[in-house]
Amino acid sequence: MSQKNSLPAVFLTPAMGILAVLALVPTAYAIYISFQNRELSRPDGSLVGFANYIDLFSDRRFINAIGVSLTWEAVTVGMTLLIAVGLGILLFECVSPRTRNLLALLFLVPVILPRVSAAFVWKFAFHPLYGIATYPYKAITGQPLDLLSNPATALATVALVDVWQWGLFFAVIVLKLLETLPPQPFEAAKLDHARTWEIYAFIALPMLKAPLISLAFVKMIESLRAFDLIYVMTRGGPGIATETLDMYAFSQGFIESGRISYASSMAVLMMIATSIAFTFIWKRVQ
Amino acid sequence: MTKAKTLVSSIAFACLLSTGLTTVAVAAECSGTIKVLAQPRDGLTLLEDYKSEFEKLSGGASFEIDYLNENDRRAKTKADASTIGKYNVYYIDEANVALFASAGWVAPLMDYYPADYDYADFDPGRQKVATYDGKVWFAPVTGGGDLMVYRKDLLEAAGIAPPKTLDEYVAAVKKLNQPDQGIYGTALRGQRGSGANVWRWMPFFKGFGGNWFDGKTPVFDGEQAVKATETYLELFKYSAPGSQTGGWDEAVGAFTSGQVAMLIESTPLVGMAIDPKSSKVAGKVGYLPPPAPLTGGGYGHGLAIGMKANKDEASKACAGLFVAWATSKENEARRLEAGQFSELNRTSIMTSPKFAELYGPDLGQALADTGKVTAVNFWQSPQWPDLGDRWGIILEELITGTRSDIKEGLDELDGFAKDLVARSQ
Repeated sequence: MSQKNSLPAVFLTPAMGILAVLALVPTAYAIYISFQNRELSRPDGSLVGFANYIDLFSDRRFINAIGVSLTWEAVTVGMTLLIAVGLGILLFECVSPRTRNLLALLFLVPVILPRVSAAFVWKFAFHPLYGIATYPYKAITGQPLDLLSNPATALATVALVDVWQWGLFFAVIVLKLLETLPPQPFEAAKLDHARTWEIYAFIALPMLKAPLISLAFVKMIESLRAFDLIYVMTRGGPGIATETLDMYAFSQGFIESGRISYASSMAVLMMIATSIAFTFIWKRVQ
Repeated sequence: MTKAKTLVSSIAFACLLSTGLTTVAVAAECSGTIKVLAQPRDGLTLLEDYKSEFEKLSGGASFEIDYLNENDRRAKTKADASTIGKYNVYYIDEANVALFASAGWVAPLMDYYPADYDYADFDPGRQKVATYDGKVWFAPVTGGGDLMVYRKDLLEAAGIAPPKTLDEYVAAVKKLNQPDQGIYGTALRGQRGSGANVWRWMPFFKGFGGNWFDGKTPVFDGEQAVKATETYLELFKYSAPGSQTGGWDEAVGAFTSGQVAMLIESTPLVGMAIDPKSSKVAGKVGYLPPPAPLTGGGYGHGLAIGMKANKDEASKACAGLFVAWATSKENEARRLEAGQFSELNRTSIMTSPKFAELYGPDLGQALADTGKVTAVNFWQSPQWPDLGDRWGIILEELITGTRSDIKEGLDELDGFAKDLVARSQ
């Protein structure tokens, strides 16, 4: 009996050990150097206590980056789920099963594209002089449309690419989830003369609540890692209009200053904030 | 040492360095792979066709070049040189040579550069930007100053003589701007960065008499910087769409695709603009030194010897041999033959009959004339990338309208500069 009970531990220990080394060592090191004043060009830093953390709150770029990151999360997660649910229902309602499969295959293509490639393709598509996406506007008005240079539209334009990649993919998942639902509740609702939107709003979507919440969590985590998309398309510009926290931390650490301690303090704050936020949301959902 | 960076040099090679024997005649004995981190350059790509030549010359070593675009290359070289040091040779530039040298990430080049390769033959301006604290740190692979490049056909049609002064230039840009016909007066760089928008702004700042520092005290926050920024923003009203957040690629792309009347850019633009393979306006292009009082932005990019990957003297010597061979007269002659104008750095090549035959006497004269107004516009300090990039962000905000108060932006930069100086002490 004891042999049986120890088997999971035998299998789990090496994997958990490797995971602990890979995850905990860099995390502990990041926390440690966040209390120093180390720079890439001067690796012999000294302890400065909470100075880096205090400086962060008088740094306008950091404050701005918090706002941009929160906006980015809200817009990309919200829009992705909206598109996914809307498109999934539309496919389920209006398209034959055979065509659905073909469309599902096409909808998977954007997410298969490497993020950096997708970013370059769309960056060129949005070019005000040569871009295919801005061409219709230029043809109609005679004026170029420079979405990525406009602080009011740059973040939304990059978010559009993110939603294009993930919204279509999630739409396929929603479609497949709808196909797995038992038909009886739908038939019963139709007999009671329920309208189509009522069937989805009050029957189908509540039945899919758990997987949809999982999708939302996956997208929330994925949206936190949007560095590559933003880096290629805007590099955080115009100005600092699209500079997210990870983008700013990278800039401070490697592009501009080489202030790795300062960048680490940002990373640590991000880690704490996301851990608290996700735990809170998870508990609320449960 | 890992397999990839194992470089074993022999006594014979040390003798070669000390006696100055002809490097082609006497092969050194290096082995393994010399790893190079660079940004894309036609001249470096061309080198890869002659790997066997270097293998023979070095006594068995090969080389491998990883390419990243300018901003990524800067970030990666900094990260690599300060941590693991995987690369034997780094591609560095005028903006970060002070940082790399003062941090001890690269070795003094002349200690390992074989004398036969004649470093003194490089263009004096490029030698100057490769020098920091009295020592040479890289061998140039590209560099130069600025030229005003213009469409002769458009200027003639508008009855405008090529501008000689900044006032004439601004007036010409305004007159030539015809967006309804797909022609924009100019193309500037708006993308943030010490090597992007700040690079193009600095000739105005220095031309109006601005200075960055007096000793360790920032002095840039004055009327010269305000006037330079006002002029830059004024010109941006006539700059091609896409350039507001674009860099060199966007500005040059707009000109070579025929949508820009005139611009002031780094000298390699001329090579691209007059080449029918890369330009729709080849044959219609004129070039002159920048209008007075603008200074040219003296710059130079080149190859330097990494300190961490080359742990011993022999490894450094092998890396030095690679740098010397890669930037040798022979390889520059090949670049000239291949039409790689922007990759030419040696006086002997740029004054050769072949150069005159390929590019005509006008270009040679324009390069000589612009050399007289070429200056080091940036603050020569390890902290320059940090300061320049911060100004780049503020300048991009001014260009794209996120902020409008120039003085407030300069005051913010002044506070940042004071912190920067305090931190470095």
